[in-house]
Amino acid sequence: MNLVLVGINHRTAPVEVREKMVIQEARQAAVLTDLVRREGIREGLILSTCNRTEIAVRADSSSEPEHTLRRFLADTHHCNLELYETHLYWLRQREVVEHLFRVASSLDSMIVGEAQILGQVKQAALIAREAGALQGELHDVVEHALAVGRRVRRETAIGVASVSVSTAAVELARSIFGSLEGKKVFILGSGKMSELAARSLASSGARDILVSSRNYDRAVDLATRFHGEAVPFDRIFHHLAHADIAICSTGSPHMLIRKSYVEELLSARKNRPIFFIDLAVPRDVDPAVDELDNAFLYDIDDLGRVVQNNREQRKREATWAEEIVQQEADRMMRRLESKELAPTIVALEKRLQSIREGELARFNGRLAELTSDQRESVNALTQAILSKILHGPVSELKDAAGRPDHSTLVQLVRRIFGVPD
Amino acid sequence: MYSDLLWFAVAFYGLAIILAAPSAARGRPTFSSASVAAVVLGLVLNGAALIADAQTLHRIPLTGIEAALSFLALCIAAAFLLISRAYRSYGVGWLGALVLPIVFLLTLAAALGTRSARDVQVLADRWLIVHSITMILGYTCVFLTFAAAVMYLMQAGELKSKRPRSFYRFLPPLEVCDRLYDQTLVFGVLLLTIGIVTGFFWAARMWKGSWELDPKILASIVTWAIYAVLGSTRLYGRWKGRKSAYVAIIGFAAVMITFLGATFLSSQHGFFPR
Repeated sequence: MNLVLVGINHRTAPVEVREKMVIQEARQAAVLTDLVRREGIREGLILSTCNRTEIAVRADSSSEPEHTLRRFLADTHHCNLELYETHLYWLRQREVVEHLFRVASSLDSMIVGEAQILGQVKQAALIAREAGALQGELHDVVEHALAVGRRVRRETAIGVASVSVSTAAVELARSIFGSLEGKKVFILGSGKMSELAARSLASSGARDILVSSRNYDRAVDLATRFHGEAVPFDRIFHHLAHADIAICSTGSPHMLIRKSYVEELLSARKNRPIFFIDLAVPRDVDPAVDELDNAFLYDIDDLGRVVQNNREQRKREATWAEEIVQQEADRMMRRLESKELAPTIVALEKRLQSIREGELARFNGRLAELTSDQRESVNALTQAILSKILHGPVSELKDAAGRPDHSTLVQLVRRIFGVPD
Repeated sequence: MYSDLLWFAVAFYGLAIILAAPSAARGRPTFSSASVAAVVLGLVLNGAALIADAQTLHRIPLTGIEAALSFLALCIAAAFLLISRAYRSYGVGWLGALVLPIVFLLTLAAALGTRSARDVQVLADRWLIVHSITMILGYTCVFLTFAAAVMYLMQAGELKSKRPRSFYRFLPPLEVCDRLYDQTLVFGVLLLTIGIVTGFFWAARMWKGSWELDPKILASIVTWAIYAVLGSTRLYGRWKGRKSAYVAIIGFAAVMITFLGATFLSSQHGFFPR
């Protein structure tokens, strides 16, 4: 098995370099067909997204695919590859397996945990399969990478925690209300922050949006953008009674929403929960509101802390995901190597067996006077010697599966026993 | 036959817990399909054990405490599967974390119990069968109300803390807890009412002396009163949130006292007629 991957990504190259290396999806099938026709290349995969272009190949064990790949890249992009040499990274064997697993798990993404990459890997595998460029060990690796990506999604919260204030607000709202569909959102004040938060809420299903601002025109402007409704500022308390989520960001110098008012509000809404997102500085909502049972209040600092917390959580989740990747890479390597091992063991056995048979044939004349019983014993004796000799190297080879020196050992055994490649 | 089947049910419920344990240990109980499949198998075997028991006894086998426990486990496991299907887009992992150990312990207790092959004539009465089935279904509902209340308190606590730990994502949203709470409470109160009324009829016919003063009957009236009050305050919407969650937990404690505690205090009620 000879796996090599060459690539360029958001860490090694700026966008003006990456864009030159993109291989559009429509071209990929043709490019792959060209790739696998080249000398020594058995399988190929192209993964080309806005953050990376990577080419993974499986080559004949005797060939050196680096050279072929260099020429292939130069041909595909009609460029002088030396200009980009510093941006390229080259990976071999286990590194390729680990890397593909990390990519599929979104650990190598610009935004760690983003969900698109798994679909992109899947699509790349599909194209390569249909082009006939993916059918052996590399195919197994890619399929396993997809499984690892799914496992990481399932078992870690790597993609769950929101890392911006507005998405964190949405996440909190979901923990209170579940689905946001049919929930009423009241935007108080027309600042940039409240607009961002409202946008996130609206894209998560909140359809019913009311806007109120001291500046009525701006309220109308904001309301039309969200297909909502503007209400006059002096009527806010009337409308607030119907809201499930209130986003406050007025420029008011004192608190607008007092605890006693929210108490009335809750009793009017039969204690259905209400969520205040206070983005204003100075604050619009009395912090004492949070003491009420079914009122939830997050001010700008609270949200900032949630985001900070989420970032740390993502980091923790990423270390767990890395562990999963290592585990799975170990498993994959063992599987690949034991697959590779079988032909070596068979060839080794065949080689020794042919020596034995050759020698027996050579001595045939001198053994002719033996009785059939004695002949049988000679046969069994030579067979036993052969088995004893085989036992050492075979068990050593099997033990080595998964170890880094495995390939060297295979080559060594083959050479010592004169087993042809 | 009966106890073999029941032991297999115990094994599969246990397997479901083991399969879900690694994720639960990390504070994010997620139920893999393997774990759910184990629950389903446990449920089938649990049901089969009850059917086998009914066939040997030639009647509905709910008069022994073992059968009652294993029927309760069956109902709770079935309800868990139904709820996790209905609310699968929300975190129901914690519900499983609360429910499955209980199901496992109930079946284990049922399997360990020595069944006395009693066939008391009075126990075959039709009122009694209705009474025991509705009571157990009612217990299932109020157990789920309790679970919903616990999840509500956990979720509300995380949200109020302002620094929600990562497991809050694996809890159902507050409104989902509330919905589950309301639905199970309504059915629970209804079933417990039917169960208690049928129990009165049976007791009035069968028992001599002042059966009204039997500890288990008194305890069940207190329990019923707690739930009836809770149900009506919920209907009027005055008591949403943490307050009613605490009451549901107290109510469930009362149920446990009634179901288990009073069984041993009662002279003639319960599962050990003396």
